[in-house]
Amino acid sequence: MKLAGKEPDKGAKPRRWILGIGEKLAELFELPPDLFGNRPKVTAVGRGEVLIENFKGIMDFREDMVRINTSTGVIRITGNGITIREITSEAVIIGGKISNIDYDA
Amino acid sequence: MFLVHLWNYIRGYVIIIAKGGVERFINICARRQILLWDIVRKDNDSAVMKASLRGFMLMRPAARKSGCRIGIVKKCGLPFFLRRFRKRRGFKAGLLFFAVLIVFFTSMIWEIEIRGCGGDTAQRIMKVLEDRDIRKGSFKTRLDPRRIASDILMNVDDVAWAGVQIHGVKMTISVQSITPRPEVVDESQCCNLVAERDGLITKVEVLAGTLKVMEGDTVTKGQLLVSGILESQNPEFGAKNVHALGRITARTWYDTKVPLSYEYTKRIRTGRTRENTYIRILNMKIGLFGNRRDFELYDSVSYDRTVKGPFNTEIPVGLTVEKLYEVTEKKVRLSAEEAEALALEKARLDLSKELSPDCRVLDERINILRSETGDAWLQLIVECEEDIAGREPLGGD
Repeated sequence: MKLAGKEPDKGAKPRRWILGIGEKLAELFELPPDLFGNRPKVTAVGRGEVLIENFKGIMDFREDMVRINTSTGVIRITGNGITIREITSEAVIIGGKISNIDYDA
Repeated sequence: MFLVHLWNYIRGYVIIIAKGGVERFINICARRQILLWDIVRKDNDSAVMKASLRGFMLMRPAARKSGCRIGIVKKCGLPFFLRRFRKRRGFKAGLLFFAVLIVFFTSMIWEIEIRGCGGDTAQRIMKVLEDRDIRKGSFKTRLDPRRIASDILMNVDDVAWAGVQIHGVKMTISVQSITPRPEVVDESQCCNLVAERDGLITKVEVLAGTLKVMEGDTVTKGQLLVSGILESQNPEFGAKNVHALGRITARTWYDTKVPLSYEYTKRIRTGRTRENTYIRILNMKIGLFGNRRDFELYDSVSYDRTVKGPFNTEIPVGLTVEKLYEVTEKKVRLSAEEAEALALEKARLDLSKELSPDCRVLDERINILRSETGDAWLQLIVECEEDIAGREPLGGD
């Protein structure tokens, strides 16, 4: 368990480079961009639910705001009665009455 | 989403409260594949969340690492619900009893259906079944469908084929009736035709044999009508025995005497009724409290109330209601005509049993006979026309 947790830090650089190629290739062949790379995918359904895939971790969690760390920066979701509906290692579902989804916050 | 909830409920989950360093705790849990859901911030340093039982077991190291204190708020789901029944012996006994009861009752025959024959044959089949102690409520394990089928074949005459199937609690008996075999006249067997009853011959038709009577002859029962010995015209050739065939139509008379009575006891319903109810389970009847038969004379009519189960099945449990009507017997004086009409009806009924099915009624005569003592009879004489020829095997070879 411990090993698995530390692995991303070890091989971070070469991996990112390879993934960068993958993204370029995807762009070249006009493939959907979410197929490659570990860029976050944010899906908002209505205004009550936001699904974030490829996230790194929760940085801050309050009743009116949640900050989620991703590979491209921190995504901040503000609103009322924010809850984490479900959290796994791949995706997190944020619920509540959402008013903002901010990047680089 | 409902399915997820249901799955969580079945697996069981705990609602926990985490205090201090909640974000770190959540992240570690996420990385370690510990599923958390419905995380709600309670105040500045605590949050309430749900976790699976397996997740809760793996949570301790994560909590220690994040410096987070965890407390259980509530245990939810089926495993915790069932845990409550661990100590309840009565409940377990009831569960076991229920299971045993289901097995017990599904190993019985609850319904017997007979297909492919009329009521008469069906009754005979039922009798065969009853003789072998097969009825509603017998256990399936004892029954061998092939044996029952062969028993039916052996014991019921007009069944050509019988099949017995047991589906669940229902026994289906399918039978195929025999097509009646046409009567074959064995012409190689020589015989005479003799009169089956007394009569006056009106018409003779002989197909084979020597006619011994004439039209207009009076014959008595047993008299030779057509001989099977065919005499040759030339006596030198001797005689030949044949199978006599023919139709001898004759007038016959039947009579019956019925005593005339001018008194008639009539049963009159008084209007007082009583209903008795029985609970019927299979073929048992259990009387309810308050069932009485407190009338001295009564007519009773009983009918069954069955409960229709789902899918139009008949449940062998129901009520039998017996209705009693109190009656009084009253002697009624009849007029001569009424008495005669009554007697005539009875006489006709008596005679109809005696008449052969192929006879034709030509005439009816009614006589009133009186003796010295004052008793009276009604005599009914019926004149018929019928074939009186009956076969009688020829003696000898």
